[in-house]
Amino acid sequence: MQFGVFSVSDVTTDPTTGRAPTEHERIKAMIAIALKAEEVGLDVFASGEHHNPPFVASSPTTMLGYIAARTERLILSTATTLITTNDPVKIAEDYAMLQHVADGRVDVMMGRGNTGPVYPWFGQDIRNGIALAIENYALLHRLWREDVVDWQGRFRTPLTAFTSTPRPLDGIPPFVWHGSIRSPEIAEQAAYYGDGFFHNNIFWPKEHVERMVGLYRRRFEHYGHGRADQAIVGLGGQVFMRANSQDAIREFRPYFDHAPVYGGGPSLEDYMEQTPLTVGSPQQVIDRTLSFREFVGDYQRQLFLVDHAGLPLKTVLEQMDMLGELVVPVLRREFEALRPAHVPDAPTHASLKAKAANEANEANATAADAIGTDPDVPAVVA
Amino acid sequence: MGSRSLVVVTAGLGQPSSTRLLADRLTSAAQGFLRDSGVEPDVEVIELREYAQDLTNNLLTGFPSPELRAATADVVAAVGLIAVSPIFNASYSGLFKLFFDVLELDSLAGKPTLIAATGGTARHSLALEHALRPLFAYLNAAVVPTAVFAATEDWGQGTNGGHVGLVDRIERAARELAASMAARERAAPMDLFADPIPFERLLASSADPDGPRSS
Repeated sequence: MQFGVFSVSDVTTDPTTGRAPTEHERIKAMIAIALKAEEVGLDVFASGEHHNPPFVASSPTTMLGYIAARTERLILSTATTLITTNDPVKIAEDYAMLQHVADGRVDVMMGRGNTGPVYPWFGQDIRNGIALAIENYALLHRLWREDVVDWQGRFRTPLTAFTSTPRPLDGIPPFVWHGSIRSPEIAEQAAYYGDGFFHNNIFWPKEHVERMVGLYRRRFEHYGHGRADQAIVGLGGQVFMRANSQDAIREFRPYFDHAPVYGGGPSLEDYMEQTPLTVGSPQQVIDRTLSFREFVGDYQRQLFLVDHAGLPLKTVLEQMDMLGELVVPVLRREFEALRPAHVPDAPTHASLKAKAANEANEANATAADAIGTDPDVPAVVA
Repeated sequence: MGSRSLVVVTAGLGQPSSTRLLADRLTSAAQGFLRDSGVEPDVEVIELREYAQDLTNNLLTGFPSPELRAATADVVAAVGLIAVSPIFNASYSGLFKLFFDVLELDSLAGKPTLIAATGGTARHSLALEHALRPLFAYLNAAVVPTAVFAATEDWGQGTNGGHVGLVDRIERAARELAASMAARERAAPMDLFADPIPFERLLASSADPDGPRSS
């Protein structure tokens, strides 16, 4: 199982000091967080993509390319890449380039984006959100798999004899996750392609997360990619920890009360009860995170949101130390012990490359077996 | 013969509230007419005052508390709806509107609905026609023709006196609602989780400006 952090890249005033970081400080902080992720033994860093203040992450591959050069193991991902308002051709190019730069340590999470004006700013209409996600991804999927593409659709200028360069590293397209909070169409899309499905698991109660993941798993099996419990599921979650849970609550409360996404709404206690937000001791975070498995099944990726709402970098890095030392090693062990053997890990570049090589060998072996043997007896492939 | 669920949403604030009083009179009248036509109604009353905090939180966080989710699910599943608001400043109350603001798209589509309101004087009565009826028309509810307004003085008038009183209007509106409910097929609401649109159709219809549901 993979563990990591994802950042929405908000520039938010620290309510305890009244100070907001500059954009430059925030960007450097995100990089420091990514480097820290590798240092403390996490597997994934994922950057959001936004095109409006107070967010700074408008250009994820620029940042991820820099992080790639400063890390050895870390998987670089997104949460999410806007499949609606970005040109799918540019996504194909940017992330294939990143894949080469990072020697394959790249996957991508597609999302629609819910900021209304971003659509017209990029020449689109939010009412077409689902249709854009469906059509643009259908093109992106082909651009990474077919060397020469002829294509015509509703939203983008047609392509004739187009080749997206660079070609994916080793001919293996980046693994794709589809993120959606509430749209069954996106769970259906992820299932159709046999891609991963990610639920941010932050803004909704678990009953809803369960319904979305359940639909994705059922349809993954329907489309013949494996059993429902072999579908590739990722979850978000947000945590704030101190050794003593009361200290965690006391320290996090002003950030919660003033956070743009829930300030002025429910109390911290109600929000913790109704959503997966966990503020408490590392053991409470372990227990809560293990409980996710009970409503989504065995899953492959857990990303934590730790750097939002104006929390200072020093505090965020302390959170990551606790994740790396106290939380994730236990979660790895516990999840691994619970996971049945037939449930796969999240695909990586290495595993997809090995799988492609295997399939090529099997195809060759089948072809070789077929020569000079009774055509009525099918070759058995182990 | 069968059961029909009737949900009553009332936005009265006082205890006791004349809005609730009107809601109760409408409900018992509708129950009577439904029973006359062989339908035993299951009645659920939702007092919005109890959900005031949850409604605000839902607007801010984007999701309902478990209690509010149960209440909205009752409305979605109901065969008929009675919606009653006090009239504040020439329109329905803010609390009343909050509830209908957090419903999912199409929650009220085609649902037989009786609208009613209370106010200090009869001068507010047209708020039903210029505020509540357009709101429910927008939500595609099937609003019955008679809307019922109760001014304070109406509670002191009987059925005689040569004009149509509150009791008569309650009867007429309830009869319309009951007829509309009894005639309505029990339409299972579209559940895209139980019955998703197959991907091939999504793909084909993404190229169609009218979208996947138009096929």
